[in-house]
Amino acid sequence: METFYTDLLCIGAGLAGERVAVEAATRGFETICLSIVPPRRSHSSAAQGGMQASLGNCCKGEGDCPDVHFSDTVKGSDWGCDQEVARMFAETAPIAVREMAHWGIPWNRVVAGKSTYFKGGKEFEKIESKEKEGLITARDFGGTAKWRTCYTSDGTGHTLLFTMDNQVVKLGVSVHDRVEATALIHDGETCIGAVARCLKTGKLRVYLAKATLIATGGYGRLYRETTNAVICDGSGSILALNTGIVPIGNPEAVQFHPTGIVPTNILVTEGCRGDGGTLKDVNGERFMHIYEPEKQELASRDVVSRWMTHHIRKGLGVKSAYGDHLWLDIRHLGAKHIKTKLREVEEICNEFLGVDPITQMIPVRPCQHYSMGGVRTNKDGAAYGLKGLFSAGEAACWDMHGLNRLGGNSLAETIVAGRIVGQKVSDFLEGYEVDFKTAIIGDAVKKEQERIDAVIRGRDGRENVYEVRAAMQDALMEGVGIFRNAEDLRKAVEKLQTIAERSEKAGLRSSGIGANPELALALRIKGMVRLALCVAYAAEQRTESRGCHSREDFKERNDRDWLKRTLATWKEGDTLPTLNYEPNSKVWEIPPGERGYGSCQIICCEDPDVMGCGPASPATN
Amino acid sequence: MSNQPTATQIVQPVRTDAYLDTLQMFTGVALILFMWSHMILVASVNLGPGVMNAIANFLEETYLAQTGGPLIALIFLVHFVLAARKIPFRAKEQKMMWEHSVRFNHLDTWLWNVQAITAMIILIMGSVHMWTVLTNLPISAAKSAARVQTGWWLLFYIILLPMIELHVGIGFYRIGVKWGWITRSNRKGLKRFENKLTLVFVTIGLITLFTLYFIINPA
Amino acid sequence: MGRSLKFNIFRYNPEDPASVPHMETFHLEETDAMTLFIALNRIREEQDPSLQFDFMCRAGICGSCAMLINGRPDLACHTKTKGLPEEITLLPLPVFKLIGDLSVDTGTWFRAMNEKVQSWVHTDKVFDPQAPEERMENQLAEEIYELERCVECGCCVAACGKANMRPEFMGAVAFNRIARFMMDPRDQRTGDQYFEVVGNEEGIFGCLGLLGCEDVCPKDIPLQDQLGLLRRKMGWQSVRHLFSKLLPE
Ligand SMILES: Cc1cc2nc3c(=O)[nH]c(=O)nc-3n(C[C@H](O)[C@H](O)[C@H](O)COP(=O)(O)OP(=O)(O)OC[C@H]3O[C@@H](n4cnc5c(N)ncnc54)[C@H](O)[C@@H]3O)c2cc1C
Ligand code: HEM
Ligand code: HEM
Ligand code: SF4
Ligand code: F3S
Ligand code: FES
Repeated sequence: METFYTDLLCIGAGLAGERVAVEAATRGFETICLSIVPPRRSHSSAAQGGMQASLGNCCKGEGDCPDVHFSDTVKGSDWGCDQEVARMFAETAPIAVREMAHWGIPWNRVVAGKSTYFKGGKEFEKIESKEKEGLITARDFGGTAKWRTCYTSDGTGHTLLFTMDNQVVKLGVSVHDRVEATALIHDGETCIGAVARCLKTGKLRVYLAKATLIATGGYGRLYRETTNAVICDGSGSILALNTGIVPIGNPEAVQFHPTGIVPTNILVTEGCRGDGGTLKDVNGERFMHIYEPEKQELASRDVVSRWMTHHIRKGLGVKSAYGDHLWLDIRHLGAKHIKTKLREVEEICNEFLGVDPITQMIPVRPCQHYSMGGVRTNKDGAAYGLKGLFSAGEAACWDMHGLNRLGGNSLAETIVAGRIVGQKVSDFLEGYEVDFKTAIIGDAVKKEQERIDAVIRGRDGRENVYEVRAAMQDALMEGVGIFRNAEDLRKAVEKLQTIAERSEKAGLRSSGIGANPELALALRIKGMVRLALCVAYAAEQRTESRGCHSREDFKERNDRDWLKRTLATWKEGDTLPTLNYEPNSKVWEIPPGERGYGSCQIICCEDPDVMGCGPASPATN
Repeated sequence: MSNQPTATQIVQPVRTDAYLDTLQMFTGVALILFMWSHMILVASVNLGPGVMNAIANFLEETYLAQTGGPLIALIFLVHFVLAARKIPFRAKEQKMMWEHSVRFNHLDTWLWNVQAITAMIILIMGSVHMWTVLTNLPISAAKSAARVQTGWWLLFYIILLPMIELHVGIGFYRIGVKWGWITRSNRKGLKRFENKLTLVFVTIGLITLFTLYFIINPA
Repeated sequence: MGRSLKFNIFRYNPEDPASVPHMETFHLEETDAMTLFIALNRIREEQDPSLQFDFMCRAGICGSCAMLINGRPDLACHTKTKGLPEEITLLPLPVFKLIGDLSVDTGTWFRAMNEKVQSWVHTDKVFDPQAPEERMENQLAEEIYELERCVECGCCVAACGKANMRPEFMGAVAFNRIARFMMDPRDQRTGDQYFEVVGNEEGIFGCLGLLGCEDVCPKDIPLQDQLGLLRRKMGWQSVRHLFSKLLPE
């Protein structure tokens, strides 16, 4: 058995994982990153829009500062976030952006003088000042008071990830790509590394580390329709869940985006609707004005997604080989507008659909987009329950997003959390020694080998893993989508429980030799279904509407009973996760109130500690 | 083996490859220029044997033929030595290149194969030709016609002519590409121009051979 | 209904002693807006679960899915079957080490490439968290971004005859990367330092000007122009050096 020893093991080499690795390596600790794909292919590369940091350089961002960013973030989270963390985040974001500039990001810069921009389909004018010329500029994003989203054209995630990996190469950090961690090695108290499978040869390996970091990204692929990459199946959360100790925070917090294209669910920008595009149904008729007479197509992401789903459920979707969808119509904007202002949309439609948006409508439907939930950590990034285990990025529930994250805040999270957690991990490693107990390692390896042998031999059955996965994805899609209600959720949980039984019986149809893709999925499927159950069950239990979690049967945001975070763990042998709860935040710099957008029915919180008039007045820092 | 650089390795970057490549370009350019002049000399026969003889005499009297000939032969040799570095001589590499070309089926890649193959033919035929002409100076229309009209020489030139024009044409284009004078924006146009030029030169060459074979009296 | 498509797919599993390289045929009914991403996944899920290939973003941004599609290197995820004939031949990228079937090891290759060209900003300035960022012309930032758009898919390497012949050849992607840093004022490397990396036969002087790279790059990076510029700069660099040696002041 190949065994590797290191100070820090980063499971995941996306932005978050690599940022932590860079910090630790700079501090002189030996670091190994694992990744399912070559690091630069990690899903961070897909982010286009940009990342938020309150530099306040551009004229529409004038007066911006961490305070405003903090307040936007808290409101965005629907008061579901940890305010201490959100504060730290907002303060550090500008530094992190500048640091990336220092490392080589070609951020777009302020150009002095007059220029025009569109808002709600109308044209406006702005004038950038001479003295800010050449500083990092920003664009507008939803839910923010200022233009705060720093960007490099439409490839922000790509440039960030390449620049980060350049640092990794520079520092000589080892990245073992095409290696998938399949189990953590721990004794119930301390984590000492992971068992992993090499995806080039199929062989098992052991990584022993003083500290282990989970930075594996989101779990969008639990859903059938998602903007996420094909490897975003939550394997990091599964690693944590399988310990039986480490909880998943707010698994039910799943964000949907209104316009993914059908069939591949690639994202097309909100700008289509911003510039005046309309949504149409099977009869070629608009419908948003019926549901939202005021804002129509321009209501917020979650609201539009909700009504689109509602409309499809009424049978007014367009049938296709890939399921029902609706139309996005931007034809009336004209060729010139589309070719200049919506270039990327035109390209996506042409390249991936063979649809010309100038003359044809674009097939779209809402799809899963982001996982706010993940491995629950404290503000230092240390996972609950196991010493030596950390988490950062989309995989973590650190928790600055609460029940809804703002666009542009997740790229920012990866490098801000990476920076902070990296420092904390390094502090932790300073002088820390750990005992690599051979019995525990041997057990962990044996268990993984047995799992592999079992699915190859079909010991427990020959369930087709692809079918099991499809069933799980359908169950979540149907029952735990944009609109949720007790009945659907209950059904989804029941279905998933049956699917979980099937997943235990997964067996291969192929030989399983080498880098077999069927085996890779078979080893993951049980955990995926469990995670799906966490999502569904936690959603069923949360009897309120907050952020992305929208209950038809509990329309209010219930601050009295639900100002708390779900913590889901899985006890081996159980058929459902165990749910515990903790307060959202220890500090209430901004007490719960109205967000200022979206519908708003609130059952007020009566706790004086929270509302700011209790004995322990809120901390300010 | 250790990875530590030895004292002789740490000095300055090694510039040999850069020099050789630059020199290769210059030999290429020199040969192109020569071939154009050569074309003027030989094709002048179409205007009448007197014209060609006059040019030949001029070259002879100014000793350009006696010095230029061997000089060209030298450049020819140097170019061969330099450019041959690029041609795969190991069977495995040749196979890789050939399989790649067949699979990929990409014009510019095929053109390179043409260049490498014509080069081999030119090496042999060009040497023979130069030897024949240069050991039998001075040049005159009658002598040339006599040669072209005897034995296999006509066939010899009919083969060599397109070989050399293809090689030169592609070489010209490639120098432009490699050194950045041909860019993405003007590539298409220049490539078309180059093809036409090659065609024109082959045509002139054929007419010249026609003249030498049928029109000029070797006596 | 759609056409019936015939896929000829390269099969070989190096980890399986019983496996020999061969071509295997699959049939699939074409559906609307079908891409090779959809087609290959359907083949894997419905016909042969052991089929190896790489997709990640399936949106043309991560560079995972490059393969030879009817002989031409391209990203499979943005290739629609509609634009292809009924018979489609898929081969793994050459030059890179084969992992199995259509999957090749680009990760190792690119890490080595990045190490070789030292793909990072070289500076002796230290980051100051309190200071505002250094200014840069937006125009320049956009020009750098244009070269930074490369997704390391490997198409340009697979399409290069030189790289096919000589595996040690650095390839257009590396030259483009060097050009990107040469353009960046934050990088303090000198001409000599760049020369040391690319001024040789493995580097820019080994390029034959085949332009396969330029013609296949799915991101449409202006490779041809970068290559020409780099050779001129490096050639000039060496000539200048020669003269300074021959004519010492
Ligand atoms: C289409 C799209 C557009 C987006 N646009 C924006 C935007 O404009 N602005 C913004 O702020 N956010 C955006 N986001 C969100 C943002 O991109 C992500 O949240 C963020 O990049 C996640 O980074 P990460 O480092 O946490 O994870 P990732 O980048 O997903 O990296 C995960 C890493 O973990 C590895 N890994 C996973 N499992 C294992 C395992 N078991 N063993 C070993 N390694 C493993 C993977 O190989 C990978 O290296 C967008 C998301 C999508 C889907
Ligand atoms: C001895 C026989 C010859 C051989 C073996 C030969 C070989 C080659 C080869 C292999 C190349 C390609 C080099 C590269 O791609 O980098 C080349 C380029 C070239 N050849 Fe020749 N050649 C020969 C004779 C000639 C002659 C007689 C001429 C002109 C009259 C000529 C003109 C050129 C030109 C202009 C180039 C382009 C140069 C460059 O790319 O730098 N060659 N030759
Ligand atoms: C200094 C050297 C050279 C001299 C003096 C020379 C001279 C001549 C002469 C006199 C002819 C007329 C035919 C004959 O007499 O046989 C001729 C024809 C020709 N030569 Fe050369 N030559 C030289 C070098 C070359 C080289 C290097 C090449 C290419 C490799 C070449 C290619 C040809 C061809 C293709 C023809 C046929 C003419 C035509 O149809 O245009 N020559 N040359
Ligand atoms: S330059 Fe183009 S072809 Fe080459 S790796 Fe980059 S994106 Fe791919
Ligand atoms: S294909 Fe290869 S030879 Fe040069 S021009 Fe491109 S790198
Ligand atoms: S899968 Fe990412 S580019 Fe094709």
